[in-house]
Amino acid sequence: MVMVTSKKDVQTLSAVEGDIWAEFRQIERLNLSLTQTYVHTLGKYSRFFIELEHQRLLATRCATCERVYAPPRPLCPHCVQPTAWIELPGTGTVETFSVLHFSPGSNADVAALPTPYVFAYSLLDGASTLFPHLLRCAPEQVAIGLRVRVQFATEAVEHPIHLIYFVPME
Amino acid sequence: MSQSVPVVAGVGMTRFASDRPDCNARDLLGEAVLALLVDTGMSHLHAVQHGLCSYESDHFNKQMTLAAILHDHIGLLPTPTVRVEGGGATGALALRTAWAHIQSGLCESILVYGCETNGRGVSSQTANQLFALSADFDWEMMIGGTYTGFYAAMMRAHMHKYGTTPEQFAHVAVRNRRNAQYNPLAQKPMDLTIADVLNSRPVAEPYRLLDCSLLSDGAAVVLLSTEAWAREHCPRFTQRPVVHYAATGCGTDTMRLGDRYPDITNFRAKQTAAQQAYAMVGITTPLEEIDVAELYDSYSGVEIQAVEDLGFVPYGEGGRAIASGLFDLDGQLPVNTSGGLLGRGAPVGATGIAQAIEIAQQLWGEADLRRQVKAARRGLTDTHAGIATISVVNIFERRD
Repeated sequence: MVMVTSKKDVQTLSAVEGDIWAEFRQIERLNLSLTQTYVHTLGKYSRFFIELEHQRLLATRCATCERVYAPPRPLCPHCVQPTAWIELPGTGTVETFSVLHFSPGSNADVAALPTPYVFAYSLLDGASTLFPHLLRCAPEQVAIGLRVRVQFATEAVEHPIHLIYFVPME
Repeated sequence: MSQSVPVVAGVGMTRFASDRPDCNARDLLGEAVLALLVDTGMSHLHAVQHGLCSYESDHFNKQMTLAAILHDHIGLLPTPTVRVEGGGATGALALRTAWAHIQSGLCESILVYGCETNGRGVSSQTANQLFALSADFDWEMMIGGTYTGFYAAMMRAHMHKYGTTPEQFAHVAVRNRRNAQYNPLAQKPMDLTIADVLNSRPVAEPYRLLDCSLLSDGAAVVLLSTEAWAREHCPRFTQRPVVHYAATGCGTDTMRLGDRYPDITNFRAKQTAAQQAYAMVGITTPLEEIDVAELYDSYSGVEIQAVEDLGFVPYGEGGRAIASGLFDLDGQLPVNTSGGLLGRGAPVGATGIAQAIEIAQQLWGEADLRRQVKAARRGLTDTHAGIATISVVNIFERRD
């Protein structure tokens, strides 16, 4: 971890009549920067991300309750049993969405997104849960019920979740 | 059980602000504790038997083991303390935990102290990133998801299913900031029109800038105790009506919205929490049996969802009921009389505690007269984490 500090400013705040903190109105502030690098394991979700490199979209299925989880869950919370991998066709239907005008710029992939961008939840064909994803289309084009399909990125990405995005089905 | 139902022995809070350059977290708490001493008539905290620390973020506060530091700062050593964290619900969950401490007989008095520095210590982009860390990192945060976006997607589904409109949720943005004008401790009192809200810039559609709540610095404390302890140690206790912390409920739901499919318009955890709390005090018709409520308006439309999940109105009726003025200061059940998260502000660890303070002051009849609800005898707080991943409902009653 790296910690960097530098002086930002010193100010004297005005004390109002009867201020019990009159003795404490000189304020100094610092700029503080923390940088830390983690080894971040994708754990039991790893195969999902590895298979994206082979243009395969995976989910997990519980053999007991037959629910299909996309995003995958290694452990079925209903049956508390390990699930198994299955492949999805990569098509689905938008169930809800938001058009985001403010980007958190969380990583280089997100920082590179032009705003506004469409963040959608789709019910993928064959799945029981909604999959959160980026939908590359004009904001006017998106609507609940829109049919979408997966696209695999051809450019290099920083976080492997960006190996996929969705587009409206022609 | 009534023997050990906790009473609100006293309260204290700072004004909530977007920036307090003169305060770190412990300084904020110090100010809230001084306000508590005035409120209770106590001159120190030596008789208090237990502490309970409420803050959400080690990241925002740049400090770990903050509970021990705060406990020391306000002179509670060597009494026990514990930290409670539950995202946005932290303050309400802290109170709920303190309720159990009193009910169990573990102690007769417990100070619940909450503070947070969510204001301008970091840029709003960094704040969004830090809050997004409480989403699912690899699946939601890493594709540019934000809490504003998750809430917006829920509201979009609500609009689609029930016909709820932006004008209806703008009513919340206008009313809560108007109520804040009558609260001297509120961060952002504003006199707005529906058009002002609808014309503010879009952040995550359908939510616009004025639909969004605030990032705040602030602290709030509530002293809970048995009635006997309060009578013995708080000189002002007998000068006002006794307020019981009568009931508490808590529910949970999936972290990711998509895992709730097909129930994506509302907060199931909030319904669970409300039903538990209502059962404790025998409430069957909440709209008639509750006089005042502080609801978790992290975004304007969330209040529409809340009045449905709390059973104030049927599902799908929230938008119309709110736009009709049912929950305004002169309506049947005034909500967010303090200004709510939209107008009073939301330093996370202090938020749920500040909600309880507003309800206690309403029940005591000590709120600013411009926002005082007449003859309020029972009040409710609604507080949640994430997109109601954890939801807490607390109920307070005046007993005289």
